[in-house]
Amino acid sequence: MTMQNAAAGINLTGPLVGTRGIVLTQAWAGSYCTALLGMLGADVIQVEVRKRPDSWRGDYAAPIAGRIKDVPTAQHPWNVSALYNSVNLNKRCITLDLGTPEGIEVYRRLVPHADFVAENFSPRVMGNFGLDYEALRALKPDIILASLSAYGHDGPWANIPGIGGTIEPTSGQSALLGYEDGPPMNSGQMYPDAVAAFNAFGAIIAALRHRDRTGEGQYIDLSMQEANLAMVGDSALEYVLTGRQRDRLGNRHSTYAPHGIYAAAGTERWIALAAESEAQWAALCAIAGRAWAEDSRFATNADRKANEDALDAEIRAWTATEDRDALAARLSAAGIYAAPVLNALEVAEAAHLRSRGVVREVAHAEAGTWPQVTIPLHFSRTPATEVRAAPLQGEHTRQVLAEILGMSDAEVDELERLGVSGMGPPD
Amino acid sequence: MARIFEGIRVVDISTNTGGAWCARMLADYGADVICVEPREGHPLRALAPFTDEGASIPAAYLLANKRAVALDLDVPRSRKHAIDLCRRADIVISSHSPSHLEAIGMTHAALGKPGIIMVHVTPHGMTGDLAEVPGNDLTDAARSGWASINGSQEREPLKPSGWQSSMCAGVVAYAGAVAALRWRDAHPGEGQEVDVAEIEVMAAAFAPAFLRSVYAGSPQSRRDSADLMAGPVPVQDGHFALTLSRAHFWRDAMNLLGLPDLAEDPRWGASFYRQAHKDEYVDRVTEAMSTWKKMDLFDELAVRRVVAGPVLTMEELRAVEHFRERGFWRAPANAPDGPEYPGPALRMMATPATLDRRPPRLGEHSFDVLRTVNGITDDHLLTLYESGVIGPKEEGGR
Repeated sequence: MTMQNAAAGINLTGPLVGTRGIVLTQAWAGSYCTALLGMLGADVIQVEVRKRPDSWRGDYAAPIAGRIKDVPTAQHPWNVSALYNSVNLNKRCITLDLGTPEGIEVYRRLVPHADFVAENFSPRVMGNFGLDYEALRALKPDIILASLSAYGHDGPWANIPGIGGTIEPTSGQSALLGYEDGPPMNSGQMYPDAVAAFNAFGAIIAALRHRDRTGEGQYIDLSMQEANLAMVGDSALEYVLTGRQRDRLGNRHSTYAPHGIYAAAGTERWIALAAESEAQWAALCAIAGRAWAEDSRFATNADRKANEDALDAEIRAWTATEDRDALAARLSAAGIYAAPVLNALEVAEAAHLRSRGVVREVAHAEAGTWPQVTIPLHFSRTPATEVRAAPLQGEHTRQVLAEILGMSDAEVDELERLGVSGMGPPD
Repeated sequence: MARIFEGIRVVDISTNTGGAWCARMLADYGADVICVEPREGHPLRALAPFTDEGASIPAAYLLANKRAVALDLDVPRSRKHAIDLCRRADIVISSHSPSHLEAIGMTHAALGKPGIIMVHVTPHGMTGDLAEVPGNDLTDAARSGWASINGSQEREPLKPSGWQSSMCAGVVAYAGAVAALRWRDAHPGEGQEVDVAEIEVMAAAFAPAFLRSVYAGSPQSRRDSADLMAGPVPVQDGHFALTLSRAHFWRDAMNLLGLPDLAEDPRWGASFYRQAHKDEYVDRVTEAMSTWKKMDLFDELAVRRVVAGPVLTMEELRAVEHFRERGFWRAPANAPDGPEYPGPALRMMATPATLDRRPPRLGEHSFDVLRTVNGITDDHLLTLYESGVIGPKEEGGR
């Protein structure tokens, strides 16, 4: 399950070793889908256009912020963007200006060496480049092309642009997200991108299996809107079956109570807790040491659900003076659903995630060494163990073009002279 | 029509949403998925909301396209048949904790068939300090960090709606199952275990905010309530999100909203500048938006190729012509006059997802499956049923 890539000086590990993607992904959805494939051992080569850099690298002129500005190697804002570096692990990056005949020609020469291509441009862009599915298939008959777009590649909305923050409302997600007494909300990040990424990740692996067995590649058309509606598909089905629309539930559950996030002692210390079964409820009453078990308002789950506001007020009054972590541990040990609400820096230190290798230190050439979230999948026979930092823009152009196309330094120099390749802001 | 998993048998002994969704995706692309549920019914069948007839709607969504066999894993005489089913499977999906799997003799090792791919979808994974700790979608959102940045600063952190931690874990588990299957295709007999923890999937879904916080040296917080850049704001007939990213989106949107000074000042083109100075424009932009109807604003911005998002309800989404043209809604093939289901999440052109079966009634296929897969005779099946070994518990599901 390990493959030496001598030219690249890397060991690929994981179940997808031996596959290669030459991808045109950007921002989060596409980038992350292909990073996940890379973390399972695929050789993922990211193609970037300097004139229109990956939006998640940020503006070329953006200031370097936070602790990174004190890192001596951090010279280029676009290489030390947290957003970019978070979703591009295990890739190589080459730059090619696909707006030039020379850039397109190099890309076309690379395609026969790929098993899959992925992109998340607006639908007409690949056609404008002359790189739509039929064109790619002419270059590599069994190629797999995954297109992640806002609304899919056909239908009346096909050419409407979108990003996670606008797909969240148009997919039904925002209408369902929010406090039980508040307006619709977006998540605190572009969550629909993650949903699209996970789905496209699975789809490309499935397409690889189909190709291996039949020799047939295929086109995958992922609409972020549809992928996200599918994640709340039971709410859509509820409307179809009953004509009812689900209310926003905040942290509450459709079926049982208590189920919420409550303030613990201290500032910005929160605990999540829920009791689903009568046994969990009895255990919660015992640990709280309050007279809830005798309170007729809370006798059955139906009673607790009917009196949820009162129940939440009781629990809030109790947890407000409790230590978050100690209480979560006591409740968990008693079989109750409970957890501290960890912030990002606490997640970075979480022993469980560290021990399982999902959070680990990753050394980046410019940004330095910091903890990152890696692959959330563990294989007993084909472990994916190797983690490489996100690439610098154009870091691997020379290496990849030599390794795959046998191009000489002089040929790559010429591409740079023409502005087709290179690093950093275009001249 | 080509089906990716034709001939692949999946036995799903999981009891949670993540396992059920992983199995559902395998079924959608052609696997024969056998859901093993307790004789009392799959726990998902108790999940609200319900139809007027009392059927769980989440269960209908998650169990569709599968066959259902009612066997109690905690009753040895009943479990024996579930183990026999698992031994005849290519993929087994479990949500049980390590100790419970051990106790019922259904670990990968105990099944004794190294070629089986066993997929675990659990809150915290099969190893580590939290492996035996119970969890659900709420605790997943808490432990993964996801909740810490969601909601508003004035309120408690907020979990995602519905069961999305589980759903995302189900999708990742599906990817893992397929990767393991593809490996086994090339290396016959080499099954393995795939371990997916819901908190890890949600931590992965939180990776950008995570690394931004790490680089900054301080955790990203929840938004303050009037953050135009972060989500929907009120318009005349609902809510609308104008979470602009690129410079020309900003310029064209501000011109449309009648705010040419904001449109033409080049400083506003950079998103980092807009973030840093949002107090200078949020009120004006929000007020300008409030006079619009959401679909009018969406249409006008679409013409200008500006990203924009009206908050659509399920009723509105059901009416959207775009979905109809793309064939997003479809009735199960064996119940063509029945209700239409949403999905799939994406389209694979050579191997499209199919919805072949309506959701099974409790234990609907107990007899069929145990006869054809485990090779039990009809007489023996009847005996087993009458002695309470196989379900459903109530007459009628056979």
